[in-house]
Amino acid sequence: MSSTCDVLVDCRDAARTFGRGANAVVAVHGSSCRVRAGKRISIIGPSGSGKSTLLHLMAGLERPTTGTVTWPAGEGDDADPTPRIGVVFQGPSLIPALDVGENTGLPLVLAGLPEEVARGRALAALELLGIADLAARLPEELSGGQSQRIAVARVLAQRPRLVLADEPTGQLDRATGGQVIDVLLAAAAEIGAALVVTTHDPTVARRLDTRWRMHDGRLEMEA
Amino acid sequence: MIATWVGGLLRWRTGRLAACVIGVALAVALAASLGSFLTASKSTMTERATRSVAVDWQVQVQPGADPGAVLALVRTTAGVRGALPVTFARSTGFRATVGGSTQSTGAGVVLGLPDGYQATFPGAIRPLTGAGSGVLIAQQTAANLHVAPGDEVTLALPGALPAPVRVAGVVDLPQADSLFQQVGAPKQAQPSAPPDNVVLLPAALFDTLTAPTRATDPAAVTTQIHVARNAHLPADPASAFTAVVGAAHNLEARTSGGAVVGDNLGAALDGARSDALYAQVLFLFLGLPGAILAALLTASVAGAGADRRRREQALLRTRGLRARQVVALAGAEAAVVGVAGGLLGLGVAALVGQLAFGQASFGAGVGSATTWSLVAFGGGLLIAGSAVLVPALRDLRTATVAQAGRAASSAHAPWWSRIGLDFILLAISLLVFRASGANRYSLVLAPEGVAAISVSYWALLGPVLLWLGGALLLQRLAVLFLGHGRAVLTRLVRPLAGNLASTASATMARRRRPLARSMVLLALAVSFAASTSTFNATYRQQAEVDARLTNGADVTVTQPPGARAGPDAGRALTTAGVRRVEPLQHRFAYVGSDLQDLYGVRPATIGAATSLQDAYFSGGSSKALMATLASRPDSLLVSNETVQDFRLNLGDTVNLRLRDERTRDLRTVPFHYAGIVKEFPTAPKDSFFVANADYITKVTGSDAVGAFLIDTGGTRQHAVADELRRRLGTTATVTDLTQTRSAVGSSLTSVDLAGLTRIELGFALALAAGSAGIVLALGLAERRRTFAITLVLGGTARQVRGLVLGEAAVVTLGGLAGGAALGWALSEMLVKVLTGVFDPPPAGLAVPWAYLAATTLTAVAAITAAAINGARHAHRPPIEELRDG
Repeated sequence: MSSTCDVLVDCRDAARTFGRGANAVVAVHGSSCRVRAGKRISIIGPSGSGKSTLLHLMAGLERPTTGTVTWPAGEGDDADPTPRIGVVFQGPSLIPALDVGENTGLPLVLAGLPEEVARGRALAALELLGIADLAARLPEELSGGQSQRIAVARVLAQRPRLVLADEPTGQLDRATGGQVIDVLLAAAAEIGAALVVTTHDPTVARRLDTRWRMHDGRLEMEA
Repeated sequence: MIATWVGGLLRWRTGRLAACVIGVALAVALAASLGSFLTASKSTMTERATRSVAVDWQVQVQPGADPGAVLALVRTTAGVRGALPVTFARSTGFRATVGGSTQSTGAGVVLGLPDGYQATFPGAIRPLTGAGSGVLIAQQTAANLHVAPGDEVTLALPGALPAPVRVAGVVDLPQADSLFQQVGAPKQAQPSAPPDNVVLLPAALFDTLTAPTRATDPAAVTTQIHVARNAHLPADPASAFTAVVGAAHNLEARTSGGAVVGDNLGAALDGARSDALYAQVLFLFLGLPGAILAALLTASVAGAGADRRRREQALLRTRGLRARQVVALAGAEAAVVGVAGGLLGLGVAALVGQLAFGQASFGAGVGSATTWSLVAFGGGLLIAGSAVLVPALRDLRTATVAQAGRAASSAHAPWWSRIGLDFILLAISLLVFRASGANRYSLVLAPEGVAAISVSYWALLGPVLLWLGGALLLQRLAVLFLGHGRAVLTRLVRPLAGNLASTASATMARRRRPLARSMVLLALAVSFAASTSTFNATYRQQAEVDARLTNGADVTVTQPPGARAGPDAGRALTTAGVRRVEPLQHRFAYVGSDLQDLYGVRPATIGAATSLQDAYFSGGSSKALMATLASRPDSLLVSNETVQDFRLNLGDTVNLRLRDERTRDLRTVPFHYAGIVKEFPTAPKDSFFVANADYITKVTGSDAVGAFLIDTGGTRQHAVADELRRRLGTTATVTDLTQTRSAVGSSLTSVDLAGLTRIELGFALALAAGSAGIVLALGLAERRRTFAITLVLGGTARQVRGLVLGEAAVVTLGGLAGGAALGWALSEMLVKVLTGVFDPPPAGLAVPWAYLAATTLTAVAAITAAAINGARHAHRPPIEELRDG
């Protein structure tokens, strides 16, 4: 049994409801799960099953209506103030007015790293994914697949302990989606991070070691 | 489908739609307000111009013609309310013995007035003391003869025995200039001043006393038929002028040479018609930029959502909507914006009219107000169509669905920038301005007595092109700075954006075009406010200068001609509120055969009692020239015309012939030409001299003072004047600045520039706030997704606020700096192009710092509010924002 400090996210009966009264919609029913260091987990389920909401709860981007979500491994510290969790979003998540290099380094600058350091780490991440030649381009000049690769590079530059990817291939064709998953896995391996990917595509889900299933807001763990 | 679409817009795009509506409303309100005001102003000009005319026509019966027949003809003329015969006879002088002392005057004029004259022409005679009928004597004559009601005055009439009459009352003749005009003579042949000595007699007494004169010389007694008209005149002074002049000519023709009409009504309308044109020009110069600015604001607001609209349009097309249907949806949006903005604008205009002028229609008639409302409403629809529908049509025509789906961002400079249109416009503006200045053009040309009037509209090109060229140049400079000045920009925003300064400057560099547009819009709003308010302040400054020049000082006590009061008499004028009393000599002097006014001043002290501006002089400052008069007492300041006529060079001797009070003869006195005087307190507009009072006293043997200039420190002028009037009675004329201010009718007084600017300054403030705040707010609203991304990537609300405020600060600084520069250049040009409305022309601009500070604060407040509001929206859970985006 792993020790508690290996646990990156600990969800206990975490539920999320949107709206109130008659309009209330339960996106995630009380769900309990733990993500441990180094794990490769896919959360599969149809659209509207609550996968993204659960991922957002894990990322701390949504607060649970009931239950708790904790991050036992803690946040970034003074030595490395970058967040311990990196998120790859489903849709376009690059800032249109910043070039690829600046977009990739943005979380580091926001975390307080000096600009030159951020720039260096961003370029290194882009290099690692073989897309350094895109550094000076603007998001509007990129294809969907390239944008998602940049989003992965942005997470890579943060060197988090946990990468959460929300339907990273949802808006891509199968081949490009496959390449993005390759990049994600490679990036997670490079930085030794755990990886959680939500998807409705069984092919993508099969690329990861562990599969969790969401159905009508309920989390089921496969053996 | 359209109803669903409009419902969606109202529900989900409320902010953007509301901002567009506000932009259209501002344009509509400004156009409707100014239009109604202009119409109302013009409609009262005829009435205002004619209100002060005491006698509409003075019909001079020509020698040999029968006054009775002319009177009968005049009375049957259409539009004549009343006609009375007034007889004139020249007197060789008047004499009176009061208190054992006998006083006599020079030549004078005796008038015979029929019964009912004062009732028919109430403005012609103003009773001062005593009875209002019987034998009346003019105030100045009474002062010359030292007589009061009840005293006897002897009239000397040619061919008749001296005729004693008893004075019943002392009167003032407010319109003596026109009363004693040389009817039918050209302006330059008119007497320079009305007669000093005037006695008014009842007609019967006049006939009795002048019977011997008439018998010996029938031409010595002349008859005028004074006419009061009641014909309806057009509201427009130009049409009224044409109508009145036509009627006068018609009457002359019908008398077959038996009478000539002195057309006082026509003369008053002659001046007012150029005022009407100036009003029109001012409307264009000062009002139109505001309406254009509001239209630009609407376009910018609509433009701020252009990317979103393109995406929506692309989505509609991918869902199978035909181009025609997409156009219909855009048209529905434009219609909603246009109609709502138009109605709101008309409501605002009515409210402004009610609050500022007491009438929703600004005093315009129902027809005019409705016409202007319709025109403004139509303009609003046009603006909405141009801002909302036209871009949609353009996108449909030029962009493919795929292109439209992506945010448009052109790396290419716009066409105007590539061809240097800004420089071309500025160069043409400068050329037009220089050409118009060099030709000493007159913007409004209304030659006296000529029916045709014209406006040199091409002179409008100068400021218009400066405005357009300046705006484009600002856009170019802003884009250049934002794109290439990242190092400076980073330093500039670091206090607000902290370690995100570089990110902020990178963002601004990429968004340089929309940001530059915001800056330019703010700059245009600020320049509009600055140029309008500066023009207004300069006008008010010059009106004050005009009033001061006319009156001389806060309060002026003018001695009657021939009075012998010396400088010491000024001590008697000291009363509560008086700070200083300064004597000013007034004589007449011949230079060659030309008779001019001569003012004797005490150079060391004159400046303490009245304002002597450097602009009044040429060849030295006022201080330097007064010092010259003091150090060399025979120095003489002369008018420019005199310098030209006599080819004078500095230091030349100028021999003036002055009356020596010791010998009562003219004597030649040498002066030395020391400088040019263009204006001087109490002096006439034409040629005059200014010299050292002590020197004049020495050479003429008299220290008699023409006027006492009284400084009250700019306050209590009215009270001090009243007290002095009470003390001095009819022995001197007391005028104060408040009275003169309302009496000096420089051309724009009747245009009511104050009303015009009151409307404009209010709208300028609203436009500055709108340009600054709304555009930034919408720009930020469109970028909520960007801020949401920043937050989900670990940014804090404080960091987002820093980014927003940094951008707001750059827009504010750029807009204000650009606006100040453009506003200054426009003000300079406007004041020079519209120089005809200033009297006297200003030496420099008057800057209304308080208003400008208020404009700046308003803009800064609007921007700050927009920025803080924009940053607060970023507090919305970012995931929601990303999900909605």
